[in-house]
Amino acid sequence: MKTKVVPTIKLYDYLIAPIQIELDDATVEKLQMQLLNEINEKNIRGVVLDVSMVDVIDSYISFVLSETAGMAKAMGCHTVICGIQPQVALTLAQMGVKLKDIFTASSLEDAMDILNRLD
Amino acid sequence: MIDVNPQDYDIVLKIKDENDIAVSRQMVKSFAQKHNFSLADVTKITTTVSELARNIYRYAKEGYIYVRKKETGADKAVSIEILACDRGPGIENVELAVVGGYTTVERSLGLGLSGIRRLMDSFNIKSEVGKGTVVAVEKRRRGF
Repeated sequence: MKTKVVPTIKLYDYLIAPIQIELDDATVEKLQMQLLNEINEKNIRGVVLDVSMVDVIDSYISFVLSETAGMAKAMGCHTVICGIQPQVALTLAQMGVKLKDIFTASSLEDAMDILNRLD
Repeated sequence: MIDVNPQDYDIVLKIKDENDIAVSRQMVKSFAQKHNFSLADVTKITTTVSELARNIYRYAKEGYIYVRKKETGADKAVSIEILACDRGPGIENVELAVVGGYTTVERSLGLGLSGIRRLMDSFNIKSEVGKGTVVAVEKRRRGF
């Protein structure tokens, strides 16, 4: 079953996923499957997750996002997260959450620059 | 574990399925916004409730979250109090559970309880194996 929870844009070998919905546990798990499927089907070499519209990222959501990046890495694909809101960054840092296997960027342009440099 | 009178609270949330995590998050977020907490504190409170609700759902299967606004002292300092109660399996080693990075399940960072403790102004936990767990946290409203 292929359910798309987030609309994505393919740009060259990159996949841009603007997350404009609230991330609950079920959604973030579906998002993981969706991204892995798209990486595989479209030969994606870099994924950009734009979370500028997301106002809560808790420990499990961070875990699943990092896990997804780790899986993508195993498939030869880098993951960049961009647009983390200041209060979300503050909360994550205070909780001691570290995003593993994932690059961070302030903006979408920045994220694309990182991916270009990695190639 | 403890006696709670639901009528003392502004919000009572029953957690019994995964969707209740998202619902409780939204309810508490608008409650904190309504009482003029700063954007940073609204995010911290919302994240805390998200962690507490998930803990209930994951470990105890069901439980309750109680939320109220408190005014204390002569200057009527406003704070939000959150109580998460369940009759689940309880935590064997509470001291270990509130240390960052400790977890008993897969697919978890083990940063829930330790994270909440850092995000909130006060943090209390009472747990008895076989009886359940109560977590009480409080966040004061700041002027900025």
